[in-house]
Amino acid sequence: MSNPATVLRASGLRKNYPSGDRVLEVLSGVDLTVAAGESVSIRGESGSGKSTLLNILAGLDRPDAGELFWADEAAHQLSLGDLTARRGRFLGMVFQSYYLIPELDAFANVLMGARVIGGVGAAERARTAALLKRVGLAERGHHLPSQLSGGERQRVAVARALMNRPHVILADEPTGNLDERTGDSIVELLLGVCAEEKAALVLVTHNPAHAKKTARQLLLRDGRFAATL
Amino acid sequence: MPWPLYLALKQLFPSGRRLPFFTIISIMGVGLGVALMLVSTSVMGGFGHQIKTMIIDTQGEVQIRGRSPMEATAAVESAIAGVPAVAASSPYAQGVVMLEYGHRPAFPVIQGFDLARIRQVIPLNRYMTAGSLDDLDDDSVILSSLLAGSLGVNVGDKLDLYTPLMLERMKRNEVLLPREVRVAGIFRIGHQQLDSSTVLCSLRLMQDLYGLRQMVHGYNVRLKPGADPDAAVAALNRVLPPVARALTWFEANADFQAVLSFERNMIFFLLTFIVVVAAFSITSSLLVTVVRKTREIGLLGAMGGRARSVAACFCFQGLFIGVGGTVAGLGLGFLLLHYRNAAVHFIASFTMGQDVFEKFYQFSNLPAYTETKDVVIIVVFSVIASTLAGLIPAWRAAKLKPVEALRSE
Repeated sequence: MSNPATVLRASGLRKNYPSGDRVLEVLSGVDLTVAAGESVSIRGESGSGKSTLLNILAGLDRPDAGELFWADEAAHQLSLGDLTARRGRFLGMVFQSYYLIPELDAFANVLMGARVIGGVGAAERARTAALLKRVGLAERGHHLPSQLSGGERQRVAVARALMNRPHVILADEPTGNLDERTGDSIVELLLGVCAEEKAALVLVTHNPAHAKKTARQLLLRDGRFAATL
Repeated sequence: MPWPLYLALKQLFPSGRRLPFFTIISIMGVGLGVALMLVSTSVMGGFGHQIKTMIIDTQGEVQIRGRSPMEATAAVESAIAGVPAVAASSPYAQGVVMLEYGHRPAFPVIQGFDLARIRQVIPLNRYMTAGSLDDLDDDSVILSSLLAGSLGVNVGDKLDLYTPLMLERMKRNEVLLPREVRVAGIFRIGHQQLDSSTVLCSLRLMQDLYGLRQMVHGYNVRLKPGADPDAAVAALNRVLPPVARALTWFEANADFQAVLSFERNMIFFLLTFIVVVAAFSITSSLLVTVVRKTREIGLLGAMGGRARSVAACFCFQGLFIGVGGTVAGLGLGFLLLHYRNAAVHFIASFTMGQDVFEKFYQFSNLPAYTETKDVVIIVVFSVIASTLAGLIPAWRAAKLKPVEALRSE
């Protein structure tokens, strides 16, 4: 049983991928505990397994071994269908490439987070408007993604991830496609809104400066956390 | 609104943007198929309906035919009148004659009617273009329009009329004197075959020409409104003498009707392939969409969207294309039907000419008759075909694992 203050706990996560005749061990026993409202960064070289770990934490992928708890729920025992059903309420995700739906404007993209897990009413619309205001896009709600800059698109993605008041935000290199200044503002935004919403933040990044802004910094090397920086 | 429905609508008809090319092409494909099916079935239905109207107008809804010339006795006539569904009946006799006017011969079919009763059964007045049915007597005839035109006769002209009976007299070396008849009127039904070779006369003249005495070849029967022709025919056959048999207008022209029905069904069958091809193009386009939107599909999974909901999104897209294409096709089809004659006359003026069109295609105007049943079949078929077209892309989308979809380049 997890500590009530813990929203995300992984222990002994292992993941292998076949690579030709060999087996590539990407994760070899990762342990991670994230407390409610805590911010954690994960750094590592390309191919070190950061994205694989994030996908497993999000329930998008299954570990070959190990346990995963979403708050008190043993996520590793759930089917992929059950994980999908719970994911939308439990966590939000932010990706490097934003992944906004091009046919929907910014407002509808944020609201899509609520649509996918249930109905949309006045409360959801009000929250969408509030989130867009919070990320500095109150006047840009009716703009399509093609009419927004990269930084603005990522702000919309951050608002969408927060739509369902998740316990955890998993951000996979959210500044990878942005210039340094815009990237800094996005990381500040993520840290700020997660603190306000009391959501934990797991930030995968290459940027040491961004990593240092989180409460705890982890380095993934050879399939396991090498150190707590 | 469920999100798959919402997203399908937004992807096909995005607000604030032009309609995607895929949406336009897919809807046009289905629409063209639907329009062609509607136009072809309506035109074929129009031929059938016009022929039915023409047959009923010239023969009655039921025809009683004698196996050989039959006596028009009071007993037979009271038996016919005793059938509740019968509104009126009129005896007829028919044969072939030779007409001659100014050394121009013609060999039309001649039909003799009881002038006192024929109007209750056949609305001949409706088709008169010159002269009057009232002027028809035992020494006059009414000619069909094309026949009158080919002979060059007008109302009041006199013709020589020869019958097969005169051949017997020729064999006996008797002097052959034709019967001189006056043209009392000209009629035009709108069917090339009837308009080019039909002569109408009184029953007495026909009986005289063919030596029938008081005998007739049968009766044309008009039924009361709403009466079932099949039931009426069954009732008539129960009371008629063995020498006579009643037939519905459909039975009396069964071969022709069968050909018409077969042609109509074959054309419908062949044109369904247009919709099938359109459905395949929808499948192809939606498959491309699945590939193009792989990462969006992965995102929906990452946001908590179930695989079956993702699949439903693509099925809805097929459905909406089907509905949109069907509505557009019906609109286009009815528009084409509305302007069909103008279009046909325009095309005919560039190709064979209006006269040739009438000569070979029997009708001066392209008929159309749309049955509700046909429209329902077309709508159901096209919507189902388009929805099924979305199934394969939907299945492909549902099979995508979010983690792999997000990772795709």
